Amino acid sequence: MAEKRFDVTHMPGVATIAIVTFLALYIPVLILVVNAFNASDTAGRWEGATLRWFAAALDNTAFRRAALNSAIVALTAATLSTVLATAAALAVTRGRHIKGQGGIFVILNQPLLVPEIVFAIALMVVLAQVKQATGYQGLGYVIVAHTTFCIPFAFLPIRARLSGMDLTLETASMDLYASRFYTFRRVTLPLLLPGILAGFMLAFVISLDNVVVSSLIKSPGQETLPTYLMGELRRNLTSEIYAISALLLFASISIVAASWFVTRTRQ
Amino acid sequence: MLDIRSLSKKFGAGNSAFHALKSIDITIEEGEFFTLLGPSGCGKTTLLRMIAGFEQPSGGQLVLDGKDIAMIPPNNRPVNTVFQSYALFPHMTVAQNVAFGLEARGATPSEVAGRVDEMLEIVQMSHLRDRKSSQMSGGQQQRVALARALAPRPRILLLDEPLSALDLKLRKQMQVELKRLQREMGLTFIFVTHDQDEALTMSDRIAVMEGGTLQQVSDPRALYDHPANRFVAEFIGDANFLAGVIADAKLGMAGQPPVPLPRNEAANGPVTVMIRPEQVVVGPLAKDAITLNGRIETLVFSGNDTQASVRLQNGETLRLRAQNNLHAETTLTEGQRLQVSLPLDALRLLPQEAADAA
Repeated sequence: MAEKRFDVTHMPGVATIAIVTFLALYIPVLILVVNAFNASDTAGRWEGATLRWFAAALDNTAFRRAALNSAIVALTAATLSTVLATAAALAVTRGRHIKGQGGIFVILNQPLLVPEIVFAIALMVVLAQVKQATGYQGLGYVIVAHTTFCIPFAFLPIRARLSGMDLTLETASMDLYASRFYTFRRVTLPLLLPGILAGFMLAFVISLDNVVVSSLIKSPGQETLPTYLMGELRRNLTSEIYAISALLLFASISIVAASWFVTRTRQ
Repeated sequence: MLDIRSLSKKFGAGNSAFHALKSIDITIEEGEFFTLLGPSGCGKTTLLRMIAGFEQPSGGQLVLDGKDIAMIPPNNRPVNTVFQSYALFPHMTVAQNVAFGLEARGATPSEVAGRVDEMLEIVQMSHLRDRKSSQMSGGQQQRVALARALAPRPRILLLDEPLSALDLKLRKQMQVELKRLQREMGLTFIFVTHDQDEALTMSDRIAVMEGGTLQQVSDPRALYDHPANRFVAEFIGDANFLAGVIADAKLGMAGQPPVPLPRNEAANGPVTVMIRPEQVVVGPLAKDAITLNGRIETLVFSGNDTQASVRLQNGETLRLRAQNNLHAETTLTEGQRLQVSLPLDALRLLPQEAADAA
């Protein structure tokens, strides 16, 4: 192509802006991680590397309980939301045209449209009534709440995968004596799997680092990792908090990386 | 074997309804290589999809071995398809693809294994049995698609333009192989194509379709030599159409005195006279021919023959093909005045259609 097109990457200063943005995003995180390994009690003075804070965190029963809660909530909410999102994606892309299909998108994207704090307060008010009526105080409320806002995140990669899938494959399966269910099990589902995994991991991460909804919905005494950290912060900024933050960060990054890897290789 | 009886399909309803097929009747025989030929949008693919079960007819019957299958879902029909895009399952190996139909039908593992080996042998793909379909060339995918569709021993194999994605050389080679396979195994093929050469070289019988209707069903030779109408004559091969008038078993055309016809095939009145360019003879013929005067307007050399466009005295244009034989008696040059002869037995009298009059 001889004709020169406008290309933003050729504008002056693009590289500089990119580098500054990158540093602004990652330097604070890097400092936090470094502090988590710092032998000194006070941040900012490096006294050699240690795993002491990690050991202290793992020894801390309150942290362990919060981590376990987070894991339970994230796993269950991600699983539930992925199942629902898969069903929704199948209905939208495969089913006959349903009346008011636009409405489905409004429902699915509710968590993106309604401010999180508004949703959290609304849910808190309703669930408070339910808690009083049933007497149940468990993690179920947090799980249900997390499931709702995880659905759109699980939905997007699944739907993308489904709409990119060649419909002829399902036709071919039906042509080769497969029932609808057999076709779903042997053709649609295996081909959809990378999308489902990506959706699941995305939902898992979204649930894992949620603060606002968790802190308003949880019953007294219940903590997830982020709400536990918030509580600890109010009292004292210790190196143990850095270590816990670093752990949360590693968990999040590895899951996102894994999901990226899965979608890349299983195309 | 397969009786297609007044089959019709319309999409939509009311005034905006589109009639993809208008009451089609065909009988396809066991062991036949039957081709549905026509331009895109003629209804050939809709007909194929209905035989496969992907579309439901709006009316009519599809009788296979004495049983109406029109409303039976595709997974219960003993009919398999080779798709234009092959539609191989990308997450499965070659062998798994071929095994799919057998497994879906509930064949035992040993049956499946035996049949898969046999099919891969037939299409010469045994050495690639553990490959994923994404790692294969178009020709290889084509063979796997064929093996997969034939493995469950369908009563009829449907082929939806299966060769259109291949390059010319491979396409020719696959044409020969497909034909050989069909003949040796005694299979019944229904083949859809828009490529008339492909249809002529492979088929036992061809159904030419246009606008959702059958134009003509016959063997390739008859289709080429005796087209039923102008559309068929034009779609299959190259054709000249000249105006003529029949009166008392004599044909008059291009201002020439009427010539008696060997057989009185047409009623009195205007007709369209069709002749293939290769049937036109340069120079006068002693008898049973109409000889006309004209002038060569253009010459196109195309290797084995030369195509000339001749302007006749009455203003009509006649195209002819002359073999480029070194020992040919006459050479053609542009602007040359010449006599051309139309042998009477090479003329086809077609009913005049509304479009011809214009």
